[in-house]
Amino acid sequence: MERPNRNHWGIHLGLIVFTLLAIYPVLWVLALAFSGQQSVGLIDLPKDPSFLERARGVLPWPAHPSLKNFVDVMSEQPFGRWLVNSVIVSLLTTLLGVFLACTAAYAFSRFRFPGRGAGMLAFLVSQMFPGTLMLIPLFIIIVKWLGLGNTYAGLVIVYATTAIPFCVWMLKGYFDTIPIDIEESAVIDGASRQTIFIRIILPLAKPAIAITALFSFMTAWNEFILASVFLEAESMYTAPVGLRFFVGGFSSQWGFFAAGSVIVSLPVVVLFLYLQKYLISGLTAGSVK
Amino acid sequence: MDWAQRLRHTAMLGMGAAAALVLALGGWLQGGADADVAARQREREAVLLTNAVAASLAGADTEAAGVRLAAWRAARPAIESVIVVVGRELVGSTNAADAAPRALRRDEKPLFDLVGALRAAGETNAAEGVTRKRTIEVADKAGVVTVSVPYRVDGRVEGIVQLRLKAPRAAARGGAADTLALAVLAAALGIGALLKVDPTRRFDAGRVLALVALLALVGGHQLQRLGATRQALAASDAAIAQVQADAAALVAKVGGAAPGGAVSAWDTDGFGRPLGLVSAAGEPLAARGAAAPDLRTRFIERGLWAIDALGLGVLLFFVQGGAARTAAALREHADAYGYVAPAMIGMLVLVFFPFLYGIALSFTDTTLFNEATPFGERWIGFDNFVRILGDLDIVKHGAEGTVVNYQNFYWTLMVTVIWTITNVSVGVSFGFVLALALNTDGLRGRPIYRVLLILPWAIPNYITALVWRGMFHPQFGVINQVLQMFGFKPVAWFDGVVSAFMTGLVTNGWLSFPFMMVVILGALQSIPRDMYEAAEVEGATRWQQLRRITLPLLRPTLVPAVVLSVVWTFNMFNIIFLVSGGEPAGANEILITKAYKIAFEQYQYAYAAAYSTVIFAILLVYGYFQTRLTRATESY
Repeated sequence: MERPNRNHWGIHLGLIVFTLLAIYPVLWVLALAFSGQQSVGLIDLPKDPSFLERARGVLPWPAHPSLKNFVDVMSEQPFGRWLVNSVIVSLLTTLLGVFLACTAAYAFSRFRFPGRGAGMLAFLVSQMFPGTLMLIPLFIIIVKWLGLGNTYAGLVIVYATTAIPFCVWMLKGYFDTIPIDIEESAVIDGASRQTIFIRIILPLAKPAIAITALFSFMTAWNEFILASVFLEAESMYTAPVGLRFFVGGFSSQWGFFAAGSVIVSLPVVVLFLYLQKYLISGLTAGSVK
Repeated sequence: MDWAQRLRHTAMLGMGAAAALVLALGGWLQGGADADVAARQREREAVLLTNAVAASLAGADTEAAGVRLAAWRAARPAIESVIVVVGRELVGSTNAADAAPRALRRDEKPLFDLVGALRAAGETNAAEGVTRKRTIEVADKAGVVTVSVPYRVDGRVEGIVQLRLKAPRAAARGGAADTLALAVLAAALGIGALLKVDPTRRFDAGRVLALVALLALVGGHQLQRLGATRQALAASDAAIAQVQADAAALVAKVGGAAPGGAVSAWDTDGFGRPLGLVSAAGEPLAARGAAAPDLRTRFIERGLWAIDALGLGVLLFFVQGGAARTAAALREHADAYGYVAPAMIGMLVLVFFPFLYGIALSFTDTTLFNEATPFGERWIGFDNFVRILGDLDIVKHGAEGTVVNYQNFYWTLMVTVIWTITNVSVGVSFGFVLALALNTDGLRGRPIYRVLLILPWAIPNYITALVWRGMFHPQFGVINQVLQMFGFKPVAWFDGVVSAFMTGLVTNGWLSFPFMMVVILGALQSIPRDMYEAAEVEGATRWQQLRRITLPLLRPTLVPAVVLSVVWTFNMFNIIFLVSGGEPAGANEILITKAYKIAFEQYQYAYAAAYSTVIFAILLVYGYFQTRLTRATESY
């Protein structure tokens, strides 16, 4: 600190080594995806490999780079179908989740009514319910009672409702920052509640709604446990369940898995890197309460 | 004075609403119970008969089988038809038009499929040593119960015996009961109209009278209905016992495997397991026969108590003015409630109800096999919790030396606690060191490092878990390659308790350090630079600056982040489930993956629900202490 322009070579060295270690698994998946083969090893090692041969096997660069895995996973495997399922479920979840969260958050932000405090507290408390405790009753309700196993609807309504509390709290915070004068002048001009909500509040809250929508989308896109419990028919799998299908249990189609993972992760990783600061502030804000 | 005001203090409306509610709920509960009794009797009778027919066919050739089937049909006219299918052949039938034996026709394909399905189910059960596939198919349609059971030759499932039993549903016996209920309701309204409630006082004779009158009216009605249900239950058991006796007599007459053992082997559930309610000779078994009806009505009794309490609550709600206030609030804030309603209803149906249902489930013995039986019959109280928490035999001293029982709750709890502590420590230490490094003044390339180091967090964690599973592959995995590169022996990662634990730790550490790093980096950057400058002027060393300035100022950010990451790690299902799968032998299971496996691999729904309830309780206790602890550190 006494010499602001000094060389940080020690720190750089440490950071570079650690960064390489940290991104190695990512590089490994990429190498596997472009390797054009299904085995979990990047190259076929000879019987008694030397140090260098082993080092080549560890280096995340495919022996024969090819797009075969990507082509095959989309054409030979039903992965395209699973991706479409995931997209449909995630989009419907986003639509439903944003609708439910916006209306509720607006009421919590703008109205003072009996039960407001209790309602908001209930939303918060529900975040503490452990997943597996919900899993069994949800399985019984959705699959056994409502018969919504193997359907989009079953997953969508569950995803949308589980995302509600977080979205409501986040949107309410944003609605609170919109000055109430705007609404009051609109009321004087004779606008109804609905008009105010749709024409004034929603357009003003666009950034927050966008974040909420993305959060709902990512919740549904990345969810694995509920989907694997609700979906039995292979044709209805979502992408996460499908990816596990490639390498879980006794099958080991690592090439398909790697290619599929790259396809599934790419949009989320880009979105995440773009949005991380909002998510982080939302998460830590939630934990302080 | 508007209508909301008028709602206030009217005993009549309160009595009416309360009585209507109690009668409706009670009627629903008892009606359901009565329907259950009737439906189960029909099914039991059909299953019993079919099992008996199948037993009577033992050791009979085609011709003898035909004779025996005809004897059954003649002895019990309620049997509409019996057919025996083996493979693609219709071996026997009571229908003369079927002209058995002959090959199945094209339109009889469903029968052929059924043979395949039941045979597969039987083979699965035999192979796994667990009875988890139904081997008896029951369909109850249009007054005919169709039952298909496996047809065994020398103990092997070769085909099916399918029996159709005419069992007309008893006409809804609503008439008298409904009239009586209406009379009770009218009486409640009438008494309510006569009672005066004083609005200026909180307590008066009118209120007491209203409560007593309501209890007397609905209570009397319920007792009368409960008696009817008890009688129906007893009659049902007696009827089944009679069917068993008749069937045993008939089998003795026409030939076949005579019933042996104390308990009827024919009176079974859908998995072919004896219910144990009737003896082979056809007498209701004293052991359960006497206790069972009691057990079955006890739940209804309890339910009725709860409903009565609810009814009294409703009455009080009306006479104390709660209804009037609610109506006024609803009208005044109609807009607000309209906006909240969609989300609230969704939460109630798919979050709060499942939560409560899960807790209720943990007091039953629900499994895959008995989930169709009435809820009350499955009620076992605290038994599940006693089984989970009361089993203290963690270490077993047996003939093969000392063995740890990995299925024990406390072992899993210990693993979970170690898992949480080690993971959070790893995450915080790596995050902290990296954040300090990235916070160095004038460091070049910081944004690049930051983005690259955040990557592990950005990737969906189920993918991360599967990727590490691949890298830990004992034979071809990269990690063992590196070990061998430097002359070490490859490690069979998933075979040892400690090494399998390490796989989870490494994976979770990898995906959780970026969160800590980002949070700590943010906090570090908000510490004013001049504090360090002042410290340097005072002659403080780097270490002293870290201890006295950095750490105390990090605390407000670090504590919530750690609290959050403890809960995340405690519930980190995906990593354990997908990387090691709790191997070896469930030793590395954490509580939440254990609960999942109990539910969806062993099909012990109720036991898993109890397990989850215990997890929830642990989290609640943790949350309570954590809040107190956070408050304490804040004041520090």
